[in-house]
Amino acid sequence: MLRDTPDRLPQDVRPMSNARLGILVLLGAEMMLFSGLIGAFLVFRMGNVTWPPPSHIDIQLPRAVTGINTALLLLSGYTMFQALRAIQKDRVKQLRNWLLLTGALGVLFLGVQGSEWAQLIRSGMTLQSGVYGGIFYVLLGCHAVHVIGAVIWLFIVLGMAVSGRFAASRHIGVETCAIYWIFVVALWPILYVLVYLA
Amino acid sequence: MRFIFWGTVLMLVVLIAPTCVEACPACKDLKEPIGRGFNSSIFFMMAMPFTIVALIGGSVFYHYRRASKNRDRMGSS
Repeated sequence: MLRDTPDRLPQDVRPMSNARLGILVLLGAEMMLFSGLIGAFLVFRMGNVTWPPPSHIDIQLPRAVTGINTALLLLSGYTMFQALRAIQKDRVKQLRNWLLLTGALGVLFLGVQGSEWAQLIRSGMTLQSGVYGGIFYVLLGCHAVHVIGAVIWLFIVLGMAVSGRFAASRHIGVETCAIYWIFVVALWPILYVLVYLA
Repeated sequence: MRFIFWGTVLMLVVLIAPTCVEACPACKDLKEPIGRGFNSSIFFMMAMPFTIVALIGGSVFYHYRRASKNRDRMGSS
């Protein structure tokens, strides 16, 4: 009787694990959160004839550096995909290396973002300095919090990979982490185009 | 009968003169930038639940189909 339950079946013949379904539902909630924030941004962006508003007209967002940072984050999406492929082929050592590289790229992204924010705050653009600063920090800050969460999760998965907890037949922990990471990575170019280029 | 009559009248008013029954004062005039902003935001957020349901539903459907094919392949071999 137990042999027929989905959890007892090999991973490639199971319809869908609870963990994968759970992460999809979580991502649905995350998408609603970000769509609300992007909706608020659209109201402010299109509701103002000039953008940035006259009070922030002298503030220049670092488009070029953020563009390079975007490329780094997209690269981390590729390395995460490679990590997932490695464990699907039972290559645990490659999994560790790809995860480590992904984590390093994530930390680098956060570091560059942090230094940009410090410069913007020094130049007078703060959370309280008006609609422009407010929506900028809330929207991108919310994404940064998600990247921090994803980096922490990734290093937990890396620790589990080092202790030999994953194999080709048992890697749902890597898979859920990869789905979340790719969501966070895929969201960033949309925010970059909206906030920095539009 | 009276309910049907007044219901029909109300529906005709809504259909013929929609500007008389607009609920949102902010997005009334689409010539104003703030109206366009609210309009775009509402359409964007309105589309999002459908996108999410389609993505989750599509993913579940794809995984069930793939697992079913794999099971058939295992059964035949």
